[in-house]
Amino acid sequence: MKEQDKIPTTRLQRTGKFLNTGAKVGGNYLKYYGKRFISGEDDNEELQRKNADDIYAALSNLKGGALKIAQMMSMDQGMLPEAYSSKFAQAQYSAPPLSYPLVVKTFKQYFQKSPGEIYDDFTKNAVAAASIGQVHRAKLNGKELAVKVQYPGVADAIGSDLRIVKPLVGALFNISQSDMDHYLVEVKSRLIEETDYELELKRSRQISEACGHIPNLAFPKYYPELSSGRILTMDWLTGKHLDKFLEGNPSQELRNKIGQTLWDFYNFQIHQLKQLHADPHPGNFLLEDDGTVGIIDFGCVKVLEEDFYQTYFRLMEPGVAEDTEVFSKLLEELSFLLEADSEKEKAHFTAIYAEVHELLGRPFFSEEFDFSDKAYFTTIFQQGERLSNDKILRKANAARGPRDAIYLNRTYFGLYTLLHQLGAKIKTHMNRALQKESEVLV
Amino acid sequence: MDTQIENPTHVTEDLKGKILESYREYMLMNDQEPPSIYAFCKEINISEEDFYEYFNSFEQIADAIWSELFSGVVKKVEDEPEYIEYAIREKLLSFYYEFFIQMKKYRSYAMITIEDGLANLGGTPSGMAEMKKDYKAWIKDLIEEGIRNGEVASRSKLTDAYDSIFWYQFLFLLNFWKRDKSQGFEKTDAAVEKSVTLTFDLIEKNALDSAFDFGKFIFQNR
Repeated sequence: MKEQDKIPTTRLQRTGKFLNTGAKVGGNYLKYYGKRFISGEDDNEELQRKNADDIYAALSNLKGGALKIAQMMSMDQGMLPEAYSSKFAQAQYSAPPLSYPLVVKTFKQYFQKSPGEIYDDFTKNAVAAASIGQVHRAKLNGKELAVKVQYPGVADAIGSDLRIVKPLVGALFNISQSDMDHYLVEVKSRLIEETDYELELKRSRQISEACGHIPNLAFPKYYPELSSGRILTMDWLTGKHLDKFLEGNPSQELRNKIGQTLWDFYNFQIHQLKQLHADPHPGNFLLEDDGTVGIIDFGCVKVLEEDFYQTYFRLMEPGVAEDTEVFSKLLEELSFLLEADSEKEKAHFTAIYAEVHELLGRPFFSEEFDFSDKAYFTTIFQQGERLSNDKILRKANAARGPRDAIYLNRTYFGLYTLLHQLGAKIKTHMNRALQKESEVLV
Repeated sequence: MDTQIENPTHVTEDLKGKILESYREYMLMNDQEPPSIYAFCKEINISEEDFYEYFNSFEQIADAIWSELFSGVVKKVEDEPEYIEYAIREKLLSFYYEFFIQMKKYRSYAMITIEDGLANLGGTPSGMAEMKKDYKAWIKDLIEEGIRNGEVASRSKLTDAYDSIFWYQFLFLLNFWKRDKSQGFEKTDAAVEKSVTLTFDLIEKNALDSAFDFGKFIFQNR
């Protein structure tokens, strides 16, 4: 791996990157309109693929908040055209590493020792990169370990990163700048939490202990004595990333087993623990050939407040959208409908949300759901595209929906996408999830 | 006897160290040099004779403080087992990281004695004349090593200026560190990483060399 230690950090440098992208994206549009003018062909998908390439190229040169946003957008496939999301999905695999002397320096800062003195063996180059850190492989007393090291000054850069992506994201989703703040408060606090490895250590141990009873799950053991604010040491999990795993042509039975494990894991976290691993991108799951699912990276955890939980999950009840009056009241409570909306807008949005509710909630409304259903996902994409062009919705460029739902929705999108790629058939047993805790655990 | 041969050097090193340490402490407490060598010797309880054994002036002491720190840091990083495998870029990085670790102990002293706005001055901060010589010599060796193993592009006249470029870089980082208010001087770490990368991107074989080579070829074959 070629080391690229040049992370643009000052706001000025980073802004430069984005301007660059902006110019390129503009160029792509010109080419698109030029081509359409000449050939009369409409090649919208290619245009979006090109834009995604350029935006991705710019984002992958950044670290911290900006890359995180790229990852987040990549998960929200329902909101983004397909070309963007598949390009962004790469972000999780390819952020460049920092130099080894800096890794040594970080260790000395916290342990007064170099990694060579602490571990029996420690790779000089990173074996994997994450958005705000990199992973080295180590050995100690015969144990294989994964050691995550964080870049210096990431927490500081998050604020300025968010200010930069604000207009970009705002333009993509047509949300006014001031309304973006509504969301960014939530995003920023999650991102800041992610830079705190001590918190991550605590949560990793908590959640993996609480989920220990779910069959076929594997969690690494964490080592607090070898961890600190910017260093996290855990067991090395074997197992493959989803794409590699699928190359081995796993049987349908195995796919279902893995899918079911993922589903149960999230179901339990959301409805019982009420706090969840909110970063379900493929890099965080390590799949074994016997169907064991290894879970890593509890950097991003969303805690669901009871009030929010109770209101929000009323949306998931089957048939809730059938009584328009009840439904629109619920939408108002969750600020999907705003006071400023006219009656006409209210009716329009209620109809839209009913449609979205029916479509996205579909897996929950039956005992079993087949996530390999391509038609289902195409419909989701089409709906997303159609809604993003909806004139009334576009005109009302306000932030809608509770900010507490951002990470929850992102998690569901991520989970749906994973299950779709996996082609798994899942016993969704929504009814079971909504029963009392004691009954669920039976 | 062995012990008798070893002992004197041990004592002298101690005395030299004591003078350096005491001078630094005096500066920290008083924010200015002692009024005279006599007064200084009296204060730290040594004879003037012993003092002149090592130094002729306060200026020399000030120089020795930084040059000793420098050689200590170089020795420390060169002794690290990984050092020998490092490319020169990494050697320089590990020097800077270790240097700024050690500088934590010298921060107050540096704040008092090193002038602000060094990067603009581009010159030599007071007390760093000796260190500048040592640093440049050390960098020259590194660059030669880099040229031998192909890490650095040899560009005739310009190559001779490389050590000065690195000295500017050092001054820049020192200045940055003085102003750095981040926790654990994390921003200085980032500045080290970035500035070293930039410098090496410039002195590596790159498009410039190919362009020059191509230009020369065209010129010669008109």
